[in-house]
Amino acid sequence: MIGQIVKKQLLILLRNPVQILLLVGLPIILIAILSMALGGTMSGEAPKINLKIAFLEHGDEEEQIDRFVSDIEQSALPDEATEAIRSNTSQVAPIRILKDHIFGSDDLEAMIEFHVVEPGEREQILNDSSYTAVVEVPENFTYEALGSMVLGGAAPALQISVNDEQQLGSHIVTQILESFQEQLTLGTFLGKKGMDEAVLQVEETFGEVSIIAQKNPITTQGYYTVGMAVMNVLFIASTLGSIAFMEKKTHVFDRMILGNISRWTYFIGVFVSSSLFGFIHLLIVYGFSWIVFGVKWPDLVAFFLVTMAYAIAIGGITVLLTAISYRINSEVITNFFSAIVVTFMAVLGGSFFPIGDSSAVIRMLGNLTPNGAGMSSYLTILRGDGISEISHHLLFMFLFALLSITIAAISFPKRRAS
Amino acid sequence: MLELVDLSKKFKQNNAVKNVNMFIEKGEIVGLLGPNGAGKSTAISMLSSLVIPTKGDVRFNNKSVIKHPEPLRRVIGMVPQEIALYEDLTAEENLKFFGRIYKLKGNALKKKIDEVLDQIGLTDRRKDIVKTFSGGMKRRLNIGVAMLHDPEIMIMDEPTVGIDPQSRNYILETVKRLNHEKQMTVLYTSHYMEEVEFLCDRIYIMDQGNLIASGTKDEIKRILSAEKAILIKSNRWNDTFITSLKQDPTVNRVIVEEKEITIMVPKEINMFSSLIRIAEDAGIELNSVDIKTPTLEDVFLHLTGRALRD
Ligand SMILES: Nc1ncnc2c1ncn2[C@@H]1O[C@H](COP(=O)(O)OP(=O)(O)OP(=O)(O)O)[C@@H](O)[C@H]1O
Ligand SMILES: [Mg+2]
Repeated sequence: MIGQIVKKQLLILLRNPVQILLLVGLPIILIAILSMALGGTMSGEAPKINLKIAFLEHGDEEEQIDRFVSDIEQSALPDEATEAIRSNTSQVAPIRILKDHIFGSDDLEAMIEFHVVEPGEREQILNDSSYTAVVEVPENFTYEALGSMVLGGAAPALQISVNDEQQLGSHIVTQILESFQEQLTLGTFLGKKGMDEAVLQVEETFGEVSIIAQKNPITTQGYYTVGMAVMNVLFIASTLGSIAFMEKKTHVFDRMILGNISRWTYFIGVFVSSSLFGFIHLLIVYGFSWIVFGVKWPDLVAFFLVTMAYAIAIGGITVLLTAISYRINSEVITNFFSAIVVTFMAVLGGSFFPIGDSSAVIRMLGNLTPNGAGMSSYLTILRGDGISEISHHLLFMFLFALLSITIAAISFPKRRAS
Repeated sequence: MLELVDLSKKFKQNNAVKNVNMFIEKGEIVGLLGPNGAGKSTAISMLSSLVIPTKGDVRFNNKSVIKHPEPLRRVIGMVPQEIALYEDLTAEENLKFFGRIYKLKGNALKKKIDEVLDQIGLTDRRKDIVKTFSGGMKRRLNIGVAMLHDPEIMIMDEPTVGIDPQSRNYILETVKRLNHEKQMTVLYTSHYMEEVEFLCDRIYIMDQGNLIASGTKDEIKRILSAEKAILIKSNRWNDTFITSLKQDPTVNRVIVEEKEITIMVPKEINMFSSLIRIAEDAGIELNSVDIKTPTLEDVFLHLTGRALRD
């Protein structure tokens, strides 16, 4: 019987070409318009990365270098060796290289806000969430570093405290420091040429890191394909909600009840048709966008998983709208949903512009809408990340669907008392 | 077979149905009459298990329908007052869907659909979308859907509103034939007296939620045996005339329409001469005076003080 209900809903839907055109044509037109109008703002560049780094030195580098040189002079090494070491080490100041040539390089300057801070400010900086990372240089770092370079042995380590809220930035800083540390161990800093090479290597690492962070840059078309698809499929919910209410209004629902069709069969029928049509709708829009705008999905399994989860959430919304309109015996809730709530959810979810970038709170709220969670998932997998990166969004969509279905089932009138 | 026991339904402040008792026996055609808002549809909805009564019980073969609606639902066919169809589907698709609800499939379903389409005279429109049908065609399909599963009991709520006379006769004949051939039990609500006269064995009359009369056609008509109706016609009336009529001690009741007045008087009264005198005094020129034998319509007027159709 559920199959019959789904078939009948599909027939009704297909009999309204205007409806179909709106549901499928509108997102496609919007993708084209928005991509053209706003093209460039997201045209495949790396995301804007802003790193704010606090740099804290326990101890003075110059003093350590001098101390190292004088210790060497007093050692039992032959004079030529001592001389060679002195001339080399005077140019090697690993911390200065890090500060001036790596974090302070022209290439990184635009992205890095670099603050040298005093040890007294440490606590305060650590608690300041605007910082991406705090890099600390231990007291005898340079002395030990030189020692390990010249005499061998383990190189000392820089300390880094990262801000977990800024995952991408933290990742980049960590990578830069790791690369720096590696160069230090290899002793590449010895000699003028060596230093430049080391800096280059570190910068290369930086480039790689930002590319990893942004594996596949998202194009404007990609962004708006996702934005419009997740928004417009919400209209499937209101459309099927309206059809369902029409069934009550015209008493065909009564006919089903008189035919001993359980109201739960009907309820499930509405849910299944909406989820199914939502799924198909998404496939059509994404398929079209793939052919016309070249928006490809790197991980099809993840893509189908997200689409399925979101379609189920759409089914949840539909039964919720249906149950409420049956209960209050009015279509007003469905109209309100399609006229106002959808737009609101779409803006919050980021369908029109990446609203979440402006604040963490809005991003969080956006991800608490099913379309926002869907959108975040799609964008994540579009970037090339795998299922593990979106599992929390998937879980949210399933839970959202479950909650909607439960509330709908509770409020769906058990038997007509009025 | 089917009984309403002290059935009441209250919508907030509105007592739509008050303590109604009715019964329908197998093979009967029972009429339910009443002016707009009398509570007919509400009573029917409770009887067919769609609406839960505020008070009282509906019993089918002595079992409560409220607790166990399934056995009744299996055997009733319901023609609702509203057009309960999918306007976006074709006639055939509607029949197919509702047929599937009654577990008909394959060839049996096909045959049944052909048969019903033939009975409601829509065979040549079967592939057309219901939205494009005339009001009467929709009505016919509305009836057809209820006949798909060969119901033992057919409940029809004003099924022939807006249907042309030929189609109406055809439908009435069909109902009568099904009643005859298959002992189909029918509860028939209508505003058309002649339909009820033609179809029904017994009649219930409701007004303002109350059952105000019940019985066979003859019994109902006998309610009026103490009165007769005088029908007079003129091109115009005036207040003097109507007031004098109402003040005449022999007149029980006066029902004024545009060009007709019905005067109810006790059977033995002959008011012909006084009627002429009143007309002359008021300056009214009468076109005709008729003494009518009472019809169901008159009974209705007598009982409710209202014409069946406003
Ligand atoms: N769902 C409802 N909610 C509130 N009031 C209702 C509802 N259904 C019916 N009523 C009221 O109950 C009364 C009886 O209505 P009902 O439809 O049963 O009359 P009816 O005899 O079928 O009239 P008609 O000949 O116009 O179809 C009316 O006053 C109506 O307003
Ligand atoms: Mg009615």
